[in-house]
Amino acid sequence: MKNWRHNAYVFFLVAPAFVILIGVVIYPFLYNIVLSLSNMSLAHIRDWKIIGFQQYTKIFTEPSQPDFYVVFLKTIIWTVVNLFFHVVIGVSLALVLNQKEIRGKAMFRTLLVLPWAVPQLIVALTWRGMFNYEYGSINLILTQWFGMHPIAWLKSPLEAFIAVIITNVWLGFPFMMVIALGALQSIPHDLYEAAEIDGASWYHKLKNITIPLIRPVMVPAITLGTIWTFNNLNIVWLVSNAGEPSDQTHLMVSFVYKAAFNFYRYGYGAALSMVIFVVLLVFSLVFMRKTKATEAVY
Amino acid sequence: MNNDKSKKIARISASYIVLIIFSLIALFPVVQVFTISLRPADRLLSTSLEIIPKDASLNTYKILFTERPFFLWLMNSTLIAVVVTLTGVALASTAGYGFSRFRFVGKKLGLLSLLVTQMFPATMLLLPMYIMLVKLHLINTYLGIIIMYSATALPFCIWQMKGYYDTIPMSLEEAGRIDGCNQFQTFYKIIFPLAAPALVITALFSFMSAWTEYVVAAQILQDTDLWTLPLGLKSFEANMGSEWGLYGAASVIVMIPVVLLFLSLSKWLVSGLTMGSVKG
Amino acid sequence: MTFKQTALIFASILLTLIGLGCASKGDGKIRITIWHQMRVDERLILESQLKRFMVLHPEVLAEQLYKETEELRSGFIVAAIAGQGPELVYGPSDQVGPFQVMDIIMPLEDLFDKQYLDGFNPKGLTYYKGHLFQIADKLGNHLTLVYNKKFVQVPPQTDEELISLGTKLTKDTSGDGKADQYGLVWNYTEPFFFIPFMTGFGGWVMDTSGTPTLNTKGMVDGLKFIQDLRDKYKIIPSEADYNIADILFKDGRAAMIINGDWSWSGYQKAGIDIGVAPLPKIVSTGLWCAPMVSPKGFSVNINVTGEKKKWVAELLKYLTSPENEFETAKELNTMPTQKVLYENDYIKKNEILRNSQMQIDRGKLMPVVPEMRAIWDSMRPSYQAVLNGENTPEEAAREMQRNALQRIREMNE
Repeated sequence: MKNWRHNAYVFFLVAPAFVILIGVVIYPFLYNIVLSLSNMSLAHIRDWKIIGFQQYTKIFTEPSQPDFYVVFLKTIIWTVVNLFFHVVIGVSLALVLNQKEIRGKAMFRTLLVLPWAVPQLIVALTWRGMFNYEYGSINLILTQWFGMHPIAWLKSPLEAFIAVIITNVWLGFPFMMVIALGALQSIPHDLYEAAEIDGASWYHKLKNITIPLIRPVMVPAITLGTIWTFNNLNIVWLVSNAGEPSDQTHLMVSFVYKAAFNFYRYGYGAALSMVIFVVLLVFSLVFMRKTKATEAVY
Repeated sequence: MNNDKSKKIARISASYIVLIIFSLIALFPVVQVFTISLRPADRLLSTSLEIIPKDASLNTYKILFTERPFFLWLMNSTLIAVVVTLTGVALASTAGYGFSRFRFVGKKLGLLSLLVTQMFPATMLLLPMYIMLVKLHLINTYLGIIIMYSATALPFCIWQMKGYYDTIPMSLEEAGRIDGCNQFQTFYKIIFPLAAPALVITALFSFMSAWTEYVVAAQILQDTDLWTLPLGLKSFEANMGSEWGLYGAASVIVMIPVVLLFLSLSKWLVSGLTMGSVKG
Repeated sequence: MTFKQTALIFASILLTLIGLGCASKGDGKIRITIWHQMRVDERLILESQLKRFMVLHPEVLAEQLYKETEELRSGFIVAAIAGQGPELVYGPSDQVGPFQVMDIIMPLEDLFDKQYLDGFNPKGLTYYKGHLFQIADKLGNHLTLVYNKKFVQVPPQTDEELISLGTKLTKDTSGDGKADQYGLVWNYTEPFFFIPFMTGFGGWVMDTSGTPTLNTKGMVDGLKFIQDLRDKYKIIPSEADYNIADILFKDGRAAMIINGDWSWSGYQKAGIDIGVAPLPKIVSTGLWCAPMVSPKGFSVNINVTGEKKKWVAELLKYLTSPENEFETAKELNTMPTQKVLYENDYIKKNEILRNSQMQIDRGKLMPVVPEMRAIWDSMRPSYQAVLNGENTPEEAAREMQRNALQRIREMNE
């Protein structure tokens, strides 16, 4: 009897959210799997048929422009670098803001959250303008304040890649900061006080108290942040003006986008998105096992 | 002792420097967006660094409210975002609690499947999503878009709530149970208030997902009377003929409710007292 | 707020929403929706023309909806395949190719009588695979040379004049070694904006069978010419995309810009006294630089059936009537498609329109085949590699051709 009530209660808690999710996601998900096994394309948009795994073979074996493996590697670098800075900057700022002695916290918090609040399209284009060689404010600041040579941000592949990463780090750190701020509140002050009495250093407190206790909240944010960043199309597309220079600033999702919307290769695009899906799934499984995210802390 | 004091002063001054530098970095591009809104003749960029252009005018803001249905978009977006926020908070706070506190069959799978929903590139989901919504007669309805937005926001919110509940000791609930609360009462009288920071994050995140989303809205809302802010903003854009002045002005205004919401909620985001006082 | 109150408010909001979603306007009317990618000034004219149509035909509810270019194409494909979508789509003719192949737009020749169709400039009627799929109300979308009359009195006629005038007008007034004013700017990193020079040196994107022809002398010479403008004559900025070029011209820091008919009104609004001239002639080949020209017009969704077809045809006829096309031409300086308007005094005498028409006559019609997309995407990276000094023009031309062939093969499998 108790068991039944327990189950009913859990069901009542969890089911409403899942009804919405399953309703919305299952059909597109299955559709996409079927599509990835089909030849749906410009010429076969209505009379498409299942052709097996041919689209997958194509992804891995046929040469593409730009090269699939290079783009894959770039996407991983993009994701790792972005996440690293999002988390490090976000958590650091949260720690700084969480100190008792700081005045004007509300003002700083609000200013720091602005990049999250501003509409992305216009600010991405503003950043692109800021990276311009002759007129961009970044080069103006570098040359006039620091006496450096101007950098051709958007003309060379490496610099362009750095430019899009800078833009996305700017856009993404406030989110992590807000999460970290929330997470820090779950740490009772007395833990720190006890540690101070024991003479623990700043680093020890961070390692032994702060990080373990914000982990349950940060891990989901980092996992999902990784997934979102991996699949982020807009920022790279806007700042690099659709892949400039010379199609060398692309992520995996740009491939999907181009395949589906520019070349109408729906089957191929669906297969590509399945590949992305599997990559992210494997990552999440490993990451969550390592961080024990599904288990409770207490 | 003296050493300690000077250390503390050094730490605080370093903190201020970090905060000021990052605030400036955060502010600078946003100020540029504001500058765009002041420039006549739709100049997205400028060859000078001045913040207030010589020929600055607030005309764009006037046009926005008098000649364009900006107010309507603002209202539509507010309505949708508020409902999505309430849905997000209601469903994520309960589901997250279920995942945090109970063992049940399929729990891990359930948590994982939440992530799965986020792993697909959105571009490939548009076609099946549209077909599905047509069949359900949800095209051109707010209900359709609210369901879609809730579905996008929920996975993160549930995970995040679950993570936060995980940090609240079980002993608190047991104490509540002893005091004669039933299961539901312990949840919403004891745990719910303690999770205030996480609820704030859930609310902010749900609100932002609805407030800024464009791609799904463009597919679902085909009637201009139903348009939301991102759709409205997009209409200032045209291939090589964008009204950047209006776009900038609208962007500035779009930020205001977000900032206000953040300001009003951040009281609970950083309310450290709850946890300390109960746990102590 | 207690839990109960919250739940109550929540429930009532949901109910209102469901109520809102069900109520639709214009019940009982024949509803015709147009998707387009027009700029705001174009939109306003369309809106007023639709309003007038609805006064004439109160049983129809005609609406227009702006969609961004890519969004319009992908959104229309998705909706039409699901059996939905707007009755009319408006845009440049290159969307006809893919839409026809996917079978989501219908042939139009049977909806209209021959006499009506005969009134059009043949360039305004887009036939594909033997059927009429688009009827245009504007011709153009073409690049011209736009100059600031403050700096340029007589626009250059040849590439040599362009270079000498450009050199004269590129100035370093502050003496810091950087130009403060450029003779010429434009979005030259984008292939569409490179086409006039490719054609000026005798090249073109594809042959009559639709096979790309990118590895040609015309392409190589065109690439070298752009390189020379930047590196040898230094009359264009070292880096320029659309927005940078646009702002330099609007700020009076560039004497000339190569831009399309869509940009003119913006420059006038920015207070620049502009002149519009056809692009120059390349002396060594004797050919005029020819931009791509494309008609912009209406196609009809395949899902339109029965009674509605008649009304859609009626509306299309109204929007492309000489009166309405003239109204648009006068407002926006666009070239109409109704032949009768070419004899109209206003259009004949307007300096901008006259030069625009000359440019259209010298231009080349944009191919409507879906393969064009593969050609653009193959040109872009190799072209930019030449500009960045990573590749030679000769090797880039070979690479473009190779990639275009591969992409077309992939598209058509």
